[in-house]
Amino acid sequence: MTLTVVNNATCTFCGCVCDDIELHADETRILKAKKACVLGTAWFLNHTVERKYPDALIDGKEATLDEAIEAAATHLHAADMPLVYGMSNTTCEAQRECVALADLLGGLLDSHTSL
Amino acid sequence: MYWGGNPAECHPRHFTKYALMPKSKFLPRGRKDRTAVLVDIRPTKSAKAADIFLQVRPGKDFELITILRALIKDQKVSEEAVAETGITLEQCTDLIERMKKAKFGCVFFGMGLSMTRGKHMNSAALLTLAAEMNAFTKFVAMPMRGHGNVTGADVIMRWQTGYPFGITFNRGYPRYNPGEFSTVDVLVRGDADAAFIIGADPGATMPQPAIDHLARIPTIVLDPHVTHTSNLAKVHITTAPAGIAAPGTAYRMDEIPLPLKPALKSPYPTDEEVVRRIKQAIVKKPFWMPEGAQMTAAQV
Amino acid sequence: MLRITGGKVYDPANGIDGEVRDLFVSEGKFVASAEEGRTIDATGMIVFPGGVDVHTHVAGGAINFARAMTPEDHRRTQAFIRSQSRRSGIGGMAPTTFATGYLYAGMGWTTVNEAAVPVLSARHTHEELSDIPIVDKSTLTLMANNEIMLDLMEKGEYERAKNVVAWYIWAAKSYGVKAVNPGGVAAWKWGKDAKQLTSPIEGFTRLTPGDIISQLARICHELGLPHPLHLHCNNLGAPGNISTTLDTLNHLDGHRAHIAHSQYHAYGGDDWDEMRSETAQLAEYFNTHPNVTTDAGAVLFGDTVTITADGPWQHLLYKLTGRKWGNLDVENETGCGIVPYTYRPSNLVNAIQWSVGLELLLLIKNPWQVFLSTDHPNGGCFWRYPEIIQLLMCADFRTECLKKLPDKIKERITLPELTREYTLYEIATSMSAGPARALGLHHKGNLGLGCDADIVIYEEDKDVARMFGHPRYVIKGGEVVIEEGDIRATPDGHEYISRPHYAPDTDEFLRPLFEDCYTMQFENYPVEMERIEKPAIHDCVPNS
Repeated sequence: MTLTVVNNATCTFCGCVCDDIELHADETRILKAKKACVLGTAWFLNHTVERKYPDALIDGKEATLDEAIEAAATHLHAADMPLVYGMSNTTCEAQRECVALADLLGGLLDSHTSL
Repeated sequence: MYWGGNPAECHPRHFTKYALMPKSKFLPRGRKDRTAVLVDIRPTKSAKAADIFLQVRPGKDFELITILRALIKDQKVSEEAVAETGITLEQCTDLIERMKKAKFGCVFFGMGLSMTRGKHMNSAALLTLAAEMNAFTKFVAMPMRGHGNVTGADVIMRWQTGYPFGITFNRGYPRYNPGEFSTVDVLVRGDADAAFIIGADPGATMPQPAIDHLARIPTIVLDPHVTHTSNLAKVHITTAPAGIAAPGTAYRMDEIPLPLKPALKSPYPTDEEVVRRIKQAIVKKPFWMPEGAQMTAAQV
Repeated sequence: MLRITGGKVYDPANGIDGEVRDLFVSEGKFVASAEEGRTIDATGMIVFPGGVDVHTHVAGGAINFARAMTPEDHRRTQAFIRSQSRRSGIGGMAPTTFATGYLYAGMGWTTVNEAAVPVLSARHTHEELSDIPIVDKSTLTLMANNEIMLDLMEKGEYERAKNVVAWYIWAAKSYGVKAVNPGGVAAWKWGKDAKQLTSPIEGFTRLTPGDIISQLARICHELGLPHPLHLHCNNLGAPGNISTTLDTLNHLDGHRAHIAHSQYHAYGGDDWDEMRSETAQLAEYFNTHPNVTTDAGAVLFGDTVTITADGPWQHLLYKLTGRKWGNLDVENETGCGIVPYTYRPSNLVNAIQWSVGLELLLLIKNPWQVFLSTDHPNGGCFWRYPEIIQLLMCADFRTECLKKLPDKIKERITLPELTREYTLYEIATSMSAGPARALGLHHKGNLGLGCDADIVIYEEDKDVARMFGHPRYVIKGGEVVIEEGDIRATPDGHEYISRPHYAPDTDEFLRPLFEDCYTMQFENYPVEMERIEKPAIHDCVPNS
């Protein structure tokens, strides 16, 4: 097991987005999140990179990533009024792709802000 | 001033890292050089951190803000109106005096203001109060955003579409109408006929009729976990968690972008990669707007 | 490869004034000949180098705040409909990123300089710029209200200040230095302004706006930046500010500078009732100081949204108009205010502003010194530039427009006396060759061999606004991007970045100062080069 330390890591749990966290991690989980608050610590320590879930599910059954991507594309393309929603717990890079997706589909686009 | 928010429990480092404690060139004693006020309907843990706690009666935020706006302009306010807010006139005038004496005032407002009776009217009133305070001293106000990178979504939607949320592209260009194009309304009315959910779990948080509709239509979920929404979805794809195992950028609530530095390598792809691949698969299919339709649409 | 034959070519950088010439393009550059590829028959048409906007606000926190504040304008304005390959967008007062690229290219502008970027949010600006298609881009970093800089200047640590400016430019991946209302934005943190160049700034004991101007102009020169100090003077928009502006110019101590949107800085009179044009005095300065350039910041009547780092001015505008007001304070670096605004011909002040912009463009004799701009979106939206060109080229049209203004204006302005009409050669200088040279982009605004093949081809038309508003072809880097009113391609543009030299110990010097006042980690502050789309880096050679 190799231990890694990441300095000045950024926590995305709450809107403060503190960027001074020192993360200590082995290959599967974060063991310590120095300077993080109680919420941030829980956020960092709660995730592991163990394969806890299947790559994808279609109708509740395990599927490959390629199958799921094709199924997603087919459903979204077939819809007259598809909705793209959420985008809070993800990166700006993914958010830009989501806006592009809604634009491509001629669909609806919305985030948590509207709640 | 914090209004309708509980940073001690929801944004735990807001006091220490950003707003109350830091020492600086002009506030060398840090916390001692600042006055902290909390306005809320009950004494939360944040009240302990405040110099002054004002317990407003539930649903009376708009009234209290309006009274403060009147008082800063030396207008008369009836005792009954003040009494209804749960705050005394003495408390109001003391607050106004302190606000006017401040060198730089800042109001952070939370969902206790923006999501209760009056909703966006409350936020508008508070922003107006802050704007009007500039006749006396420097004063600003900003919302306390939650939900990690919700600010990034806001910022990006604005630069790519002109609008922050509640958008439709169904005429081939962005239009905006909260209430019409916002998600809960769209789902409760049963309008959407497919849903793509990312970085959110509406199956756990939305009103039941909205959840019921998500279960009726093909719903696609991207998430690091199998969520409540995944369980009612047609398709779930597991992705790497942002900032933990996926690199990129996130915006702080004051719209400052920060780089993400993942400490782990995920066996799952990133959201960015999966959305891009879905997009590429859709591009291979016929475009929804018929050839030549763009000219017609533009003329209309 | 591409050949453009038979057109009347206007190429001021090479002294070519309407000669019929053929142009050849290979791999995005002009070459001596090309045998293959498409030929555009431009016979009877007019060929210009692509436009260069020296001063605009198209990307970043401020314009993005303006977008959020003006949904009512988005709904009524021009929409760009999605095609299979091209993103949708919204035009109007604060266009979306994609629409910004379409609109600039659509009228033949191929390079834009985003003139106000805080380092703290530079990452955001670059993300937006990468979503502005077709045009090439550069950015200027806001430096004249940064507390760390001001502290160094107050202490007289000039060499340190110079190193820190260079460090900030490289951290922001920007192209040059912008000064906005020196000291005034810092003072706005106290709800104050800096109106006197020789009075100490709020929060400081000795430092004055004049000190900041002198030192930054010298720093820009000594760092060897391709563009000199880009200066938004103190007292923007205020009656009687001509004295501040002339005083500012005297503080340059002979150094080069670019004075931004000078229309807003050329007023006489003691108050709004007495306000008048003082363009003759300002033009005289430019006419006798060829090392100083400016852009007009012209005003056009109609709706727009004003955006400036000049926070105190925006608070005043909010109080004057009672309209929406957005204020952003960017920690210890700068700030910004946003107020929607309507310029009306019936309003005496607005009418004077309209006249002042045109007077400066007409009174400054050398078009290599005064450039077309509206300080977008402050004086009007950039996509209205063709209207300004018409006003410059047609004295009769100006006379018609003047008739709509209040009678009282006659003794306040000099425009009715000005008969000058710009030639096509002068327009090409003011919209392209001149701003390119001022920016130090020698391969832009120039149809000479080896330069970037950014070309705009117009069909000659008596209706000047129509001719410049609807070019027949626009070519960016050798690729036809606009043809007969259609967007044909949306390639990504380059971003120009300067790399000035700074002492290696600047990082360690700055770190503790930074940690004292910023909310973000020092290591996370500089914008990573990987985030810049198609960077083009200029290595600066220092001047002593």
